[in-house]
Amino acid sequence: MRSFPVRLVAPGFLLALGLSACGESESACRDLSEAPFCVALLTAGPVSDAGWYAGAYEGLLQIEQRWGAQISHQQTRTASEYDEAFLAYGTEGYDLVFAHGSEYQDAAIRAGERFPETTFIVSGGGRIADNVVPLIFTLENGSYLAGMAAGGMTESGVVGMVGGVRIPPAEGVFLAFEAGVKAVRPDAEVLETWIGTWDDVAAAKEAVTSHISRGADVVVHNTDGASFGVFNAVREAADAGDPTWAIGMNRDQNDIAPEVTLGSAVIRIEDAFVEITEAWRDSEIGGAAYYAGGESEVVDFVANPAVMDRIPADLLARIDSMRTAIRSGDFDPPRVPFIEGEEGYEETGAGAGGG
Amino acid sequence: MIRARWWGPFFAIGLALAVTSVALALGGYDVPQALGALWRGAFGSEQAIASFTLKRSVPLLLTGLAVALAFRAGIWNIGAEGQLYAGAVAGFTVGFVGGGLPAAVVIPAMLAASLVAGAAWAAFPTVMKLRGGTNEVITTLLLNFVAIHLTAWLIDGPLQEPQGVYNETAPLPESATLGTLWPGTDLHVGFALAVALAVVLWVVFRFTRVGFLIRAVGEGPEAARIAGRVDSGRLSAGVFLASGALAGLAGAVHVAGVDLALYPGLSQGWGYTAIAVALLARLNPLAVIATAIFFGAIQAGGTSMQRVAGVPLAWVNVIEAITVIGVLIAARGRSRSGGDAGAPEAA
Amino acid sequence: MTDREVRAAVRIRGLRRTFGSVVALDDARLEVRAGEVHALVGENGAGKTTLLSVLAGHLRPDAGEVEVDGASVFGAGRARGWSTRDAWNRGVGMVHQHFALVPRLTGEENLSLGVRRARSGWALPTDWVRERVHRIRAETGLEVDLSRQVEALSIGERQRLEIVKVLLRDPRILVLDEPTAVLAPSEVEGLLTLLRRLAGEGRAVLLVAHKLDEVLRVADRITVLRNGRTVLEADRAAVTARSVAEAMVGDAEALDAPQRTTVEPGEVRARWLGRTDGVDLELRAGEIVGIAGVEGNGQRELARALAGRETAAGPGGSGGAPGRIHLPDRVAYVPQDRGREGLIGSFDLAENVALGHHADPDVRGGPGGAFLRWNALVARTREMIHTFGIRTSGSRATAASLSGGNQQRLVVARELHGSPELVVAENPTRGLDVAGARFVHDQLHRLRRAKHAPAIVLVSTDLDEVLALSDRVFTIVRGRLTEVPEAERTREGVGARMLEAGEGRAARAGEGTS
Repeated sequence: MRSFPVRLVAPGFLLALGLSACGESESACRDLSEAPFCVALLTAGPVSDAGWYAGAYEGLLQIEQRWGAQISHQQTRTASEYDEAFLAYGTEGYDLVFAHGSEYQDAAIRAGERFPETTFIVSGGGRIADNVVPLIFTLENGSYLAGMAAGGMTESGVVGMVGGVRIPPAEGVFLAFEAGVKAVRPDAEVLETWIGTWDDVAAAKEAVTSHISRGADVVVHNTDGASFGVFNAVREAADAGDPTWAIGMNRDQNDIAPEVTLGSAVIRIEDAFVEITEAWRDSEIGGAAYYAGGESEVVDFVANPAVMDRIPADLLARIDSMRTAIRSGDFDPPRVPFIEGEEGYEETGAGAGGG
Repeated sequence: MIRARWWGPFFAIGLALAVTSVALALGGYDVPQALGALWRGAFGSEQAIASFTLKRSVPLLLTGLAVALAFRAGIWNIGAEGQLYAGAVAGFTVGFVGGGLPAAVVIPAMLAASLVAGAAWAAFPTVMKLRGGTNEVITTLLLNFVAIHLTAWLIDGPLQEPQGVYNETAPLPESATLGTLWPGTDLHVGFALAVALAVVLWVVFRFTRVGFLIRAVGEGPEAARIAGRVDSGRLSAGVFLASGALAGLAGAVHVAGVDLALYPGLSQGWGYTAIAVALLARLNPLAVIATAIFFGAIQAGGTSMQRVAGVPLAWVNVIEAITVIGVLIAARGRSRSGGDAGAPEAA
Repeated sequence: MTDREVRAAVRIRGLRRTFGSVVALDDARLEVRAGEVHALVGENGAGKTTLLSVLAGHLRPDAGEVEVDGASVFGAGRARGWSTRDAWNRGVGMVHQHFALVPRLTGEENLSLGVRRARSGWALPTDWVRERVHRIRAETGLEVDLSRQVEALSIGERQRLEIVKVLLRDPRILVLDEPTAVLAPSEVEGLLTLLRRLAGEGRAVLLVAHKLDEVLRVADRITVLRNGRTVLEADRAAVTARSVAEAMVGDAEALDAPQRTTVEPGEVRARWLGRTDGVDLELRAGEIVGIAGVEGNGQRELARALAGRETAAGPGGSGGAPGRIHLPDRVAYVPQDRGREGLIGSFDLAENVALGHHADPDVRGGPGGAFLRWNALVARTREMIHTFGIRTSGSRATAASLSGGNQQRLVVARELHGSPELVVAENPTRGLDVAGARFVHDQLHRLRRAKHAPAIVLVSTDLDEVLALSDRVFTIVRGRLTEVPEAERTREGVGARMLEAGEGRAARAGEGTS
């Protein structure tokens, strides 16, 4: 053990000591810039994904543009980096920290206690504190409208729903969808299948095919990567002379299979970020979940422009008026509660276990 | 023979910095700002040193010791990653179930469970190696994937948080979490435990009979058996299991000290980085402390580059790798120079 | 060779090379002429290997002149640029002590590997090799088996293959480093004859060796190195075995063999009954039992079993019950392969002493004896360095830094420490120089006469050694022990009994690998 690399390590430490002596102490981010406030974003994946994370990053850039805010982004690798990231931003005096994913929620609660001056916004989170705000995208609002479209377009009266993992938020989306279908066509039969993963294309395709064989002529999904299987199955059925519609979810999927897609229930994440930042500047948030999409265009149903001529005008009008009713707060589509403090939420765990 | 000069390490660090600067400049980033962030994120403040660098070094240190122990005995345990997962799951489960008990009971129970689980995860490769002669590199490596996926399944299934919404477990009860070592920072007592274990392992290697025999079996298995009359099979089995136990401990310490709940993909590949940590330290437990902190610093500094200089994670990963390679080159220069290859101190 | 016309194939003058503070070569001279067999002799550590390394282009000397084939390759005006490649190109072909053959490949494939020729494209130039080997055989009588895998060949066969590999390049200067060290007596003769024939073709043959009788039989001229200096350069006719040995050792007295004394065998120290060959082995205190045999006849397993190192299935391998073996507590074992089985090269001397001694209560300390008392071990090591005359920089030097002879001294010192009741020595003088071998033999004698003498087993392939030292002699052939009666204990008598050994080995080789 004469091989102890003292000579290798010692200079590094000396260097470290020397430099830390002249290193500057922690500095508030606002002291370094003229910015009115500082905003940070944490993502668990790359912002080049053209989806969930890209939308968040787009939102961050829009906040920078609109208010001239100082912005920063960190992609975390594992849970071990959550606390570190919050600590870094909190110490540097960031005012608003977006943690884009429910995985951050426990660390965000800890950070909230530690940095009372900072507001932490957790996308899809379920835990609440004075300065820790879950940002909930009420996809139910869009999916209710999509359900109405499905109810209006079905000829057989059978509508299919293919979901990924059976968790409360996803169940809520289907609950609202089903309600939308029945609002237009009360006698409709609604099929429901959960494939157990978000990304299994083959399983999704198989589920959709089975729905079609049972008479469904409109199929909605709530999956991630597996959605390609849904569109594939619907297109194949249509090609085989069995007219069938697909409905996209989460983002505008109207151009994946334009000839058979009725429309998509979408979340506009960047709009939600701007909206909640505005609410934060007006000191309107804190102590409760923030539902984005209730009264704005964050969540919407976008009918497919390529097939607009095949959708009856009165159906579109009905959807439009319902959209107005939802945005004005006159109507709330049903949802499955999963956020603490939410009406109907049970501390011991509603629907524990999942599919 | 190349003689290592006193400036060798500075040269290596300088080289790494130069290459890193070029890489950053090519990527279009503000080089001074990024390098400043690299530094300050690792050592720039009390928080950076304790909450970032030292905290990050804990799993690297424990797995690094696990690898150093095994490699010393000539056992190529590539499975620290999987053993860490096994220890994390076992430690978490004990902590979660026994959360109502006082910390003085729960914490030792968690750590003990992780030791057992880590050793259990190494047991199959141990038996395969000693009975069937199956190469442990393959078995331990494959078991890593099993451990990672099994953990993901458990978190998605039996261990999922009670609401069944999120892909994580419920948080550990307060009594099952490790206390703070450095007040005002996130550095938990696991760091002290890891450093203490490093010292213990160093004493074992340097002064004890069993430590001597482990080194003998590693350096000259035939001579140990023939001249030393060492039962190398038994000794190897013990070392293999102990190595797994140490890596398992890393998992429980990490969960109880940092994550406070189980998440899928809980490790950043520490069990693999540990191999570099151990080799750079030339399998010397005391040196593993230094190399683990070095790797922790690089990761902390790299992460800081993201926040301050807007360097994306992909670039940060590249820069971390460049730095590590630079230091490995410097270390290699040293090992070629001394002519004392691995010769341990006796008296 | 007195023919003044022959050119000097190699001429080395005033060669000096140091490693740190150690002077390996200091004013070494060597002149090898075409058409002669030239022997370079010297004890281990005399500088032979260093000199060869310079000649082969591995090492650059500090000073001196080296000429190969009349051209200066090192010295005034040509300071660098002599590489292994240059050595090849100038016709220096070297057969190393450790063969550079790929065990899994056949002889033919191995020979093809070194051939740099595009004649067969990407395929191995096996046709060319076969043709060349055929010609070499015709010219030199050198027989090699091209079709079998190298791992199935005996040591002698491998060596011949190695020589053929070098001859394929048609070297003008053929250098062989200790070629006889690995060979059985019968194989040595063949090699020496071959060397003569190669020299007869006009090549210069440089033979590095330390077994004087072989050297004197084959060499035309002799160069003796001692402590890095050339102390003797002479024609064969001008020297005697005694004068060469004196030159090597530099101390005439060390050469005189000790007087053999008769010792009454003491109590039985070890017993091995019910051996499959029906021979019961009883080992008594104060008695040296010699076991002679050709390599690969089971003596290694026998030695290990007697040393308690292996729960032996009995020598000769598989069949039959191993019998009952009763061994004393303290068994010393001097294994044949000291570099691999006796010592750990990267460990220092004290750590190597600790191997085996780690069980000794005197060097254990702390709770439960879990700690080693390194101070005691270092003191013990220093004592061994002193009493056994181990040349080293100290107890902290690595075993790998010792010369072969000093390594063996260290092993012997460690094993004989305390008072072993049984000593098993397996080819204990293999690869040692005259003084080293003398030292080991002296130690065995000293032990035999000691007050609390152990029983001693000497397992050796060196017939002379067995005959010179043993009170009782056995031969081992294919795992079967036979006691040699007093009357037949001559080189010829025992040799005849070992003759069977040749068949034994052939049978073994035929099985492929063992």
